[in-house]
Amino acid sequence: MPILEVENIKKSFDSLEVLKQISFEVNKNDVIAVIGPSGSGKSTMLRSLVHLEELDGGNVSVNGNYIVKEGIYSKPQLVKQITSKMGMVFQHFNLFPHLTVVENLELAPKLLKQGSAEQNRSLSMELLKKVGLSDKADVLPSKLSGGQKQRVAIARALMRKPEILLFDEPTSALDPELTGEVLRVMKDLAQEGMTMVVVTHEMEFAKDVATKAIFMDKGEIVESGSPVDLLTNPQMERTKSFLHRTLQT
Amino acid sequence: MSIDYFLSILKPMLEGAQATIILFLVAIIVSIPLGFLLTLIVRSSIKPLAYLANAYIYLMRGTPLLLQLLFIVFGLPLIPVIGEYLVLDRFVAACLGFILNYAAYFAEIFRGGLLSIDKGQYEAAQVLGLNRWQTMSNVVLPQMFRVALPSVANESVTLVKDTALLYAVAVPELLHFAQTAVNRDFTITPFLLAGVIYLLITLCLTMFFKWLERRLRFD
Ligand SMILES: Nc1ncnc2c1ncn2[C@@H]1O[C@H](COP(=O)(O)OP(=O)(O)O)[C@@H](O)[C@H]1O
Ligand SMILES: [Mg+2]
Repeated sequence: MPILEVENIKKSFDSLEVLKQISFEVNKNDVIAVIGPSGSGKSTMLRSLVHLEELDGGNVSVNGNYIVKEGIYSKPQLVKQITSKMGMVFQHFNLFPHLTVVENLELAPKLLKQGSAEQNRSLSMELLKKVGLSDKADVLPSKLSGGQKQRVAIARALMRKPEILLFDEPTSALDPELTGEVLRVMKDLAQEGMTMVVVTHEMEFAKDVATKAIFMDKGEIVESGSPVDLLTNPQMERTKSFLHRTLQT
Repeated sequence: MSIDYFLSILKPMLEGAQATIILFLVAIIVSIPLGFLLTLIVRSSIKPLAYLANAYIYLMRGTPLLLQLLFIVFGLPLIPVIGEYLVLDRFVAACLGFILNYAAYFAEIFRGGLLSIDKGQYEAAQVLGLNRWQTMSNVVLPQMFRVALPSVANESVTLVKDTALLYAVAVPELLHFAQTAVNRDFTITPFLLAGVIYLLITLCLTMFFKWLERRLRFD
């Protein structure tokens, strides 16, 4: 059974149809790369999975538990419980600027009373070590480079031990020379078996790490399949022209 | 001018400064939380309440503080029937006037501070599982206060100077004693002394806020 199942989701902003009947599923250990032109609805799709956007129709379920079924949301408490299985990494990091790195990691578990202070400290230090930032634990985010900030954001998302990690263009706000360090952390996670959905423009990363690629355009999934096939031998005209445009720039 | 004369006017003026400082402290300690409460009401989804709070802020910011003070101290008691129950101690009435007025200004400052907080902060908090109250108290407010701090500092210095309006409602304070001494002794010294005392108070205040800004710095 897939851990995340998305069926026919729909979403409009006023008269603008941003998601038109999107369906896909995510199995354990999948790394799904979502590509597509700007404005095609990739962010809206990803955000709706963690209830940052309210869908107008369709189903989203995690391990068979519905967040929304035929456009009707479960009770807020249940939605919260189900979405807690998912972590999210944003394009602009969204670290809490008034808290140090380690406080950023520990704020949620502390407030939600998950684990003792010692357990949380050892987990946060372990995760900072994993993303290569042990020496930055007591530093404020403003003192970090973009790549370091994003690695902290990944570690923060991992504190909840998510079953699925969602990334919305995690390297798009970074200087080109800083994308590598973030992609490396993501690749490590993939190799450890973390299930991930990654909206990205990094085609090499998609080919190298993803188990499946989805091409979205104008609120639809135009084509999906193995990353290498989709990126090197696309079937649909829209995919071809998008890839053509991207490779040119 | 002898040192004896200087000391003789210093004593009443320092007593007057006491009234100034007490008014300042009462006004700031009450109007900051009240102003924050107003901000929350303005942003609340209960529309009639938000509308009332906005009208209140508009009224308080759109009319002179002096008029408001005169209204509370001398005007309220003139209202038919209930007026006689509205005769307050003048100092208490003045404190009330300052609190009501400054709460509106602080509300505006905090509203600006809230607007400056990126929506990504709320989203990150939500995805991490924080509820609205936890997000407010642990993510939004600390940042809002930091952003608002320079404006709060500014407004506090203005408040110190506005305490001189007590003069107009005949509550003895620093300026009152200075004016009395000037009239009595035909010398400019009490005015200068008053100026120095105001400067000292605002200097302390400014230093305090600078220290606070440094401590809370995160950018
Ligand atoms: N909150 C919003 N209100 C109105 N329109 C929005 C909102 N968010 C996104 N959109 C619109 O929805 C479309 C899809 O946006 P988005 O999901 O961000 O696309 P992508 O991430 O693929 O670039 C765009 O046309 C965008 O302008
Ligand atoms: Mg996007």
